Amino acid sequence: MGRVCAITGEESFVQRLREMGLGEAALVRKVSGTTTILCQVNGTRIALNHDAARGIMVEQLPGNAH
Amino acid sequence: MVCVTLPSHIALEGKKRVRAAGDLPVYAMVGNPNCGKTTLFNALTGLRQKVGNYPGVTVEKKEGEAYSQHGRPMKIIDLPGSYSLAARSPDEGVLRDVLLGRRADTPAPHRIICVVDASNLERNLYLVHQILDLGRPVIVVLNMMDVAIGSGQRIDPTKLEAALGVPVIPCEAIRGKGVVALRLAMSRADLPLARHRWDVPGPIAPAVAELQASLVQTDGRAPLVARAEALLLLTDIDTLRVEGSTTLSPQTHAVLAQWRQRWAREKMDWSGTLIRARYEAISRLCAGVINRTRDLGPSWSDRIDRVLVHSVWGWLFFALVMAALFLSIFILAEGPMGWIDTRITDLGGWVKASLPAGDLQDLLVNGVIGGVGGILVFLPQILILFFFVGLLESTGYMARAAFMMDWPMSKVGLHGKSFIPLLGSYACAIPGIMATRTIENAKDRLVTILVAPLMSCSARLPVYLLMIATLLPKNEVSTPTKIGIMFLMYLVGTVGAFGFAWLFKRTLFKSAPPLMIMELPPYQAPRWKEIARQMVERAWLFLKNAGTIILAISMVLWFLTTFPKHPDPKVGVDVQIAHSLAGRAGHLLEPVIKPLGFDWRIGISLVTSFAAREVFVSSLGVIFGVELKSDDPAPLRVALQAARWPNGAILFTPLVCFNLMIFYVFAMQCMSTVAVVKRETNSWRWPLFQIGYMTGSAWLICLVVYQTGRALGF
Ligand SMILES: Nc1nc2c(ncn2[C@@H]2O[C@H](COP(=O)(O)OP(=O)(O)OP(=O)(O)O)[C@@H](O)[C@H]2O)c(=O)[nH]1
Repeated sequence: MGRVCAITGEESFVQRLREMGLGEAALVRKVSGTTTILCQVNGTRIALNHDAARGIMVEQLPGNAH
Repeated sequence: MVCVTLPSHIALEGKKRVRAAGDLPVYAMVGNPNCGKTTLFNALTGLRQKVGNYPGVTVEKKEGEAYSQHGRPMKIIDLPGSYSLAARSPDEGVLRDVLLGRRADTPAPHRIICVVDASNLERNLYLVHQILDLGRPVIVVLNMMDVAIGSGQRIDPTKLEAALGVPVIPCEAIRGKGVVALRLAMSRADLPLARHRWDVPGPIAPAVAELQASLVQTDGRAPLVARAEALLLLTDIDTLRVEGSTTLSPQTHAVLAQWRQRWAREKMDWSGTLIRARYEAISRLCAGVINRTRDLGPSWSDRIDRVLVHSVWGWLFFALVMAALFLSIFILAEGPMGWIDTRITDLGGWVKASLPAGDLQDLLVNGVIGGVGGILVFLPQILILFFFVGLLESTGYMARAAFMMDWPMSKVGLHGKSFIPLLGSYACAIPGIMATRTIENAKDRLVTILVAPLMSCSARLPVYLLMIATLLPKNEVSTPTKIGIMFLMYLVGTVGAFGFAWLFKRTLFKSAPPLMIMELPPYQAPRWKEIARQMVERAWLFLKNAGTIILAISMVLWFLTTFPKHPDPKVGVDVQIAHSLAGRAGHLLEPVIKPLGFDWRIGISLVTSFAAREVFVSSLGVIFGVELKSDDPAPLRVALQAARWPNGAILFTPLVCFNLMIFYVFAMQCMSTVAVVKRETNSWRWPLFQIGYMTGSAWLICLVVYQTGRALGF
């Protein structure tokens, strides 16, 4: 489990991430993947490719294995 | 498969065919991707538009009619799904432009039905919130209530209704629950407007006001629409334009540019500010609406995903699915195929016996039965293929396959979403090419369109199967070998598609690596009815084409091979065909294809099958059937095996059969695809380029294969 702390990247992409609820302060959990990432946000599963995931900074929340 | 009849919405696109809406009330169905809009649309209108469990099934508006509770007709428009009105891809642009009344061919809807996925309410309400800005009457449908309850959420529709001030109707579209209530709400003459007040964040407000004024004055917008559009223009960064939408006035452009510059100078994050303000307003709306009753832990979908998108098990499963598909095409289809074959042979024998010998008998036996019959045999295989594709689409595996393929796709410069159109193209390239509308980047979309027809579609199945049968006489070779050859063809096509995509991305369409965000839907049990419906639809399309286009081509070809008649009626059949119009044309072509091992008779079939690939089989049926002139109608395979070059050498050697398959893997032999590419890219340039590169590479590759094969002694 982690919390998104910053997003960087192309403007329209950042905007869409925020619109889909993956903005700053969103809680995310990584489900699977190494280059292409599958994560759980608010009850939905969202896949991000490597370049997309690179722009999202997540801080680990304590007390969780993920 | 020939799809000369384009999908209905394409045929309806022309301006003249759009019916004046008259005074019918117009409803638009909008919502996030995969929230069940089309299911609901079908339930309301009785139509059968395609439904599938992955985002991006609907990429163009679809219109239908429903009746109100009082029996009055209403027009309903189903729109592509989107997360926001700020469009990033062409399908989302359709939604935005229809709602804002920017499209000349569609009336702006009077009322809007917002379908939301109740199991993910807040995210879904983001789009609803933007739509409420438009100031039109809105009905909110809380769909997928079953999923919400299953995930441990209790949602109170009355509280949401009180907060929004518009009707909120809980629904389970898939089971038809709530449809009557929705129809009742739609029939109300006095839909309330939303109690929707939220304050545009302070720093942005002056810009919105100024843009709104400009839109009202110089673009003729109504004030509320103008406000919504102003908000949108500020966040709609690349203002992606869809064909047919009207452009903004220069003054509005100037105002917009001026604010943009100012914010850029001040490093003001207006888009983030706006989104945050909306989400804050939404969480105020939702307070007390959602009750999380319990936390159920990982859902079924999570558990399945642990295996199916696993880096080892996932690929294994993918391979298993493919193996099952190929096995069933060969094994399950055998029985029905033999049955159809016998019926057709019997029919040919019967016609032959009951008509006097002559041109009419010949036309019916060789032109009609030989041509069309040769194709009908392949119906079972095509049905099996569509069954599998339907299974992938309805369970939700389609999106997982895209996820798995993202890594290989990234190696050629595309992303996983591009794989959905490619996978769809295994069935037919036309829906595949339409599905590219979900791809955000224009260059990536074009590359995907260009390579999609390289994925072996169902129309190649008859060609492959006939060639495999000719290449390997029955019983001598085991089924696994046949499956192996077939699999090889699919592999060559797929590798070809990836190779050309890589080449195009490095030369013509250079762009930054694409960024992918894709939502994976929860798994669901296959919807058998929906799969069966799609299979029946495709079977019908196949039969209809066999009965019209293929029949016509076969008959014309029969005439061309029969006339003009040789002055000496006693000459052999081969001399007669060579003397005919088709024979003369074929001989003109022969020098071009002889280096590939093809003679003029194959050449004729290559030309006729430009209409659609399976015409190749019916054309061979006409030409070689005519030539064989045996008393017993024999399977086409036998006629082909008997064919010879003038010097007595076997025509359909294993190498030539193999080479023909390779030719069909690469060559662009489909008129309908050309038409769709022209429409989707808006010019003749790309379809012509596509014909050139595909058929050109087919020729080159076949040349290399044949000459190498010969040199190696095959
Ligand atoms: N469990 C459940 N599933 C539903 C319900 N309504 C629709 N579905 C399923 O949700 C999936 C998506 O339905 P569609 O009608 O294609 O959704 P859409 O919003 O038109 O999707 P796009 O065209 O991709 O935007 C299908 O697999 C439906 O069977 C419902 O009320 N409950």
